[in-house]
Amino acid sequence: MAARNPVFANPKPCKHLADYKLSHGLSGYKSLQKWLKTSPNGNTSIKMRETKMPRCSFCSGFHRGRLYLCLICSSMYCPDHTLLHSQSGNGHDIAVDIDRSELYCCSCSDQVYDPDFDKVVVSKNIMDMPNKTQDSVVDDLTRRSSKRRRLNSLVDLDLKKSKLLVSVRDRRAKSCYPLGLRGLNNLGSTCFMNSVLQALLHAPPFRNYFLSERHDREICKKKSSDQSCLACDIGVIFSAVYSGDRTPYSPAQFLYSWWQHSANLASYEQQDAHEFFISVLDGIHEREGKERNPSKENGDCQCIAHRVFSGMLRSDVTCTTCGSTSTTYDPCVDISLNMDTSNFSSVDVANKSNRPNEDTGRSTLLACLDLFTRPERLGSDQKLYCQNCKEKRDSLKQMSIKRLPLVLSLHIKRFEHSSLRRTSRKIDWHLQFPFSLDMTPYLSSSIVRNRFGNRISGFESDEADISAEFEIFAVVTHSGMLDSGHYVTYLRLQNQWYKCDDAWITEVDERIVRASQCYMIFYVQKMLYYKANEDLSCMPMSTRRDPLVPIAGCC
Amino acid sequence: MSPHTQLSSHFFGDLLDSIIVDVASECHRIARLGLDRNLEEEEEELRLSAQARVTVADPSNSGEINGKYVVDIFGQTHPSVANEVFDCMNCGRPIVAGRFAPHLEKCMGKGRKARVKATRSSTAAQNRYSRGSPVSAYSPYSNPTSTNRLSNGTYSHTVEEYSNGTCEEP
Repeated sequence: MAARNPVFANPKPCKHLADYKLSHGLSGYKSLQKWLKTSPNGNTSIKMRETKMPRCSFCSGFHRGRLYLCLICSSMYCPDHTLLHSQSGNGHDIAVDIDRSELYCCSCSDQVYDPDFDKVVVSKNIMDMPNKTQDSVVDDLTRRSSKRRRLNSLVDLDLKKSKLLVSVRDRRAKSCYPLGLRGLNNLGSTCFMNSVLQALLHAPPFRNYFLSERHDREICKKKSSDQSCLACDIGVIFSAVYSGDRTPYSPAQFLYSWWQHSANLASYEQQDAHEFFISVLDGIHEREGKERNPSKENGDCQCIAHRVFSGMLRSDVTCTTCGSTSTTYDPCVDISLNMDTSNFSSVDVANKSNRPNEDTGRSTLLACLDLFTRPERLGSDQKLYCQNCKEKRDSLKQMSIKRLPLVLSLHIKRFEHSSLRRTSRKIDWHLQFPFSLDMTPYLSSSIVRNRFGNRISGFESDEADISAEFEIFAVVTHSGMLDSGHYVTYLRLQNQWYKCDDAWITEVDERIVRASQCYMIFYVQKMLYYKANEDLSCMPMSTRRDPLVPIAGCC
Repeated sequence: MSPHTQLSSHFFGDLLDSIIVDVASECHRIARLGLDRNLEEEEEELRLSAQARVTVADPSNSGEINGKYVVDIFGQTHPSVANEVFDCMNCGRPIVAGRFAPHLEKCMGKGRKARVKATRSSTAAQNRYSRGSPVSAYSPYSNPTSTNRLSNGTYSHTVEEYSNGTCEEP
């Protein structure tokens, strides 16, 4: 697999830059290094003389501060006179923008890029940093591949390699719809549970694990006689749903077990689907975690919930005065995203509550992800102690994704609470979400590299990156008001969308899904998505027709 | 324009220019080094989404978007209250599926009345889930501007945030 972006580390130089490199090599860059000055916000500029303002050698103008320093004769030119200089001198084509430390070719009249120059800049940046930050920065820029670990976990979850205990000859497998499509009965305001279960039932690595009986129910029962095990109960649901029986299934035992686990959420009233999701993963972790992580939790948890859903978030807090950054990592099983409400006044929002809104730039999933990873200025009441400055300073905080999970669960925070007015409301706006999602811009590697001005640091590994490309497979939608709504899940199986509304499974056009009000969106790594579609292609109906069973549309 | 105003305009112009060039330089680098996002794909998704919303909003486009279902893909129909009957695993009595949850609530001694007593002691348990991420050994990430539904830190049973009176068809 070739590197996704070969251009990045090796941009093609223009003729003039190539000639300059041949004649002068790195000597020009290196002599420039001592004048490079890094500011706390990451910008690098060139300051040669502390006392005199730089001026254009031709016109003595300051020309709006944009001056170019010729790499050969060190004379300074404003944009109006750069061409003149390169024409008069011999081979004096390459200059550097002193405010931004970017190479400029006077003959091409364009900014040009050289990895060797970038490396000189980056090493100066690192040298200028406070000691503590230096090591972590080098680590950041080195993109170590955790590919090996990822592949190992994938092999385990490969369906073909395990015993598939799914009955495929059941005569009740009506027509040739994909396996695993089965309605779930509503047991009394339990659509929040049914909707999340449908998504879990079709999360490829999660499904493969349970269908191949990796969680051994016999052994589990022996170990803990009457304590309920959510993983066992989920396993039962998997077997039932993939059995080929298409009559709706009642997940009653599961509800019972779950209420035993989450005592505080056990009540006959609508719950929040996202809370349920977190609670279920937590329940599986509690039981499996003990068995699979006998030593302390130094490495990653090996329980199925975490192996499939767990990723790692990175939080950087930067002092705006000195630029030193402190970084923390937190694991997460999903990402909760805010919808950007700042563009609308509260009056507008109130009026819009139930009408379809206009397509504003903010109402997209990518905009929410941008908002999530945007550097945020912490308020003056939230000054943090800077190790370098030795006092409390204004800071910037930025989130990014250090490691993506196999299944990415995104939760849209549609429920807003105003502590002032003591009210809660639902943000009803439509949120556009893509079916194919590239998470590269939100990775820590991308965010950190951006902080260094997207320079080529020379630390990049040659290995291909872990794929950041995802495909959607399930959407949990919420319709209605905050306190009287309904959850429905849309599933994508073999490029056909199905609507799972409690006991009712129907086929829907993808446009219905795109227009729906998403609440939780589930993406799986692209490779796993395509593999999953191969694994469970539809099984043909037996030729002996049951006279009582109508032949519903066949694929 | 007075010389004073002229001068300040001049400075403003310089500052503005400088900012514009900053952005241009950044974008130029991103584009030239192949770091830019796949705008074509993104725009295609946006277009499909906008198209979808128009189609769906048009009442002449059928479907039972808001209507009732007739048959599911397997040719089955289902009543509004699930009528499968099975035995309650707590008390052993046969219960109708669609009424199982309210039954189980009373049967297990959960439920609002039973819970009023239990609220104090289970406050600690409530706070465990107040951040929405798994508890054991993992700390939730924090976002100072989050309007997380549980921003007050406590999960109050009396505010039925997502209660759904009925999931059933009227």
